[in-house]
Amino acid sequence: MRALSIALLLSAALVPPAFAEEAGDWLARLAKADQQQRFHGTFVYERNGSFSTHRVWRQLGADGKMSERLLQLDGAEQEILKVDGRVQCIAGGMADQVEGAAFWPSRVLDPARLQSFYELKMAGHSRIAGRQAVVLLLSPRDQHRYGFELHLDQETALPLKSLLLNEKGLLLERFQFAEFDPSAEFDSSSLLPGDACRPVRARAEPVSVKAGWHAQWLPPGFELSGVVERKGADDAPVVFMTYADGLARFSIFVESLNGSSVEDARHQLGPTVVVSRRVTAPEGDYMITVVGEIPFGTAERVAVSLSADEGVVASP
Amino acid sequence: MNREALHESLSAVMDNEADELELRRVLAASEDAEMRATWSRYQVARAAMHKELLEPRLDVAGAVFAALDKEPVPARRLGAWPALGRVAVAASVTLAVLVGVRFYNEADATGAQLVERGAIPASVMPQVQEPAVLAGYSLGEVEQPQAGRSAQGASEWHQQRLPSYLRQHAQEAGLSEGPLPYARAASLENR
Repeated sequence: MRALSIALLLSAALVPPAFAEEAGDWLARLAKADQQQRFHGTFVYERNGSFSTHRVWRQLGADGKMSERLLQLDGAEQEILKVDGRVQCIAGGMADQVEGAAFWPSRVLDPARLQSFYELKMAGHSRIAGRQAVVLLLSPRDQHRYGFELHLDQETALPLKSLLLNEKGLLLERFQFAEFDPSAEFDSSSLLPGDACRPVRARAEPVSVKAGWHAQWLPPGFELSGVVERKGADDAPVVFMTYADGLARFSIFVESLNGSSVEDARHQLGPTVVVSRRVTAPEGDYMITVVGEIPFGTAERVAVSLSADEGVVASP
Repeated sequence: MNREALHESLSAVMDNEADELELRRVLAASEDAEMRATWSRYQVARAAMHKELLEPRLDVAGAVFAALDKEPVPARRLGAWPALGRVAVAASVTLAVLVGVRFYNEADATGAQLVERGAIPASVMPQVQEPAVLAGYSLGEVEQPQAGRSAQGASEWHQQRLPSYLRQHAQEAGLSEGPLPYARAASLENR
């Protein structure tokens, strides 16, 4: 009996590396396909309290630049046209606050790096949008991020379905294609934006400012991707910092309270948590707000650890 | 009493055309729950006719925020069940504000979650039920429901800022990356 269980343990310990390797290969294929593969299709996005359908067209131009158009099919006409990762125009409510958006460089999937923070595992096969898919599980190695279940198209390695799961395996959000066609040429007029799509002034370089704040604790693997300062409500400056681990992201907002008495707050919107915490600095009170697709406890800990640069020496 | 006559009297009172008898009839029935519901419906219908309630920016967020602020907030979510109470609060406030005038996507969807069937590799995945936090942008157009009055001052600061914070967070990735972050950002606009 004991020998049997030891044998089982051994085999359990020996099998995963092979799986992980295969999973890593799939992620590498995905990263490559994401930059090159043409496709068009229809997908749904669902999170608690919201369900929407969208159409996407994606094509590599003659100049080697990827054009991508996304259009919401139900409700308000949300639309985005991007060329080579740069936003060309936006329609709908999303356009409201784009002015001054930094558009930090888009994420490139790095399987080797991801493996430090997520355990990669193959979990069989599935069928999505009428196509064969392989199932890839990315389970967090600590409690500071959520897990993903990716269903990658067998032919192209692009994700046909992506689920975000919390630590109890509960579904936080679903992204899933209903129709996916990577082969057929489509009319290039499909890449022309609608009339409502408002051109976006592309800013050459994202403006980086010195934050004046730093987190004394960050969940492992999360790195600062950018800092900007913007005008918030009351035209008061708001420091906006974004962090990512290569897959998950969170943002920190710091705004002076200007003497008003405001309580701490905690909210959750589908996959996104919001933790607001008041801190006292020499020149007055500030509200720190952490927004991200990370567990509550992690957001809380980041918020608690944030402090003003003056008088505090950073400890990594 | 004859319901139809009563409803006619109610209508007359609303239009300032009631005579004394009708006014008495309505006052006598004012404790009646059904009667009050009818009154409320008439008010909404009337407001809608006068376009008073068609202003797209209802203060749903304020109401939901206020109701949630009265709830004790556990440090960690404990799964679906404890959250249901909060959903119920959010939903009831929403209904109180909207009274059926406007289809409310968020509250509706929490009531009827989709359950996936078929081969699911990662065991069974019930949907996490969380309250709809962001419902709209506050302009103070609609009177706060009673549940929201007391906590109003404390949450106002957050009401003004959290929607914008959420958008900025979602958009920073959503606009430059692939379909998933885009859909996340777009979903914040779907109200």
